Amino acid sequence: MADAVIVVALLLVAASATAAVAQREPARQALVLSVLGVVLAVLFTVLQAPDVGLSQLAVGSALTPLLIMLSVRKVRRQARAKDRAR
Amino acid sequence: MNGWLLAATVELGGAGAAALWGTATGPLPRRVMAQNLATSAVCPALLLLAQGYGRPSYVDLALLMALLGPVGTLVFARLLADELLDDRPRAWTLTWAAAGLSAAVVVAVCVATGPSRAMVKLLLIGALLIGGNVIASRALAGGFRGVRGA
Repeated sequence: MADAVIVVALLLVAASATAAVAQREPARQALVLSVLGVVLAVLFTVLQAPDVGLSQLAVGSALTPLLIMLSVRKVRRQARAKDRAR
Repeated sequence: MNGWLLAATVELGGAGAAALWGTATGPLPRRVMAQNLATSAVCPALLLLAQGYGRPSYVDLALLMALLGPVGTLVFARLLADELLDDRPRAWTLTWAAAGLSAAVVVAVCVATGPSRAMVKLLLIGALLIGGNVIASRALAGGFRGVRGA
């Protein structure tokens, strides 16, 4: 019966990972990806690996979305500058 | 399986699924708000899990999440500022509901812990969680209009 929480965490990870892949736009993908990071941290905790969960939390909830959003912004700016030059 | 783990399972399943649904579907403002609320939905579950497993050191995860969750939301609020300009995400009812849930969980775990250093840590986590959540919601709703760079 104590496995129920593991099953719930696994289901959430599977659902959020599928949702992250299914998104078409990078900004929306980054949003789902940050939720996936949080849920993965919970899964690691439930599997009694809180140290892994700590690093996953730091990387997944703030760092990965920041990097993705920064690159999206840079690409968009370059595209806009190219349009203006035309 | 004790009551704490059961509560954590229910909380994680319900709030996690709702946050995931809100983030994966719908217009962009709703997605950003759901991502914001995902932190305050999952963090109480971590506190309940730490109590359920009887391992106070697991509380560190909740502390880190209470610190970093609002930071992640502020990243989106800053970098998606142009997209969110016309249609500000506002969900004050949900924000205060999440804050109330966090407060209830923190109080319950505090009562189970008893007065000690661990209880001070729990209270700190609760304050960080609710404060960060409200600040992130306010930033998304355009409350800090004066703070705008480039």
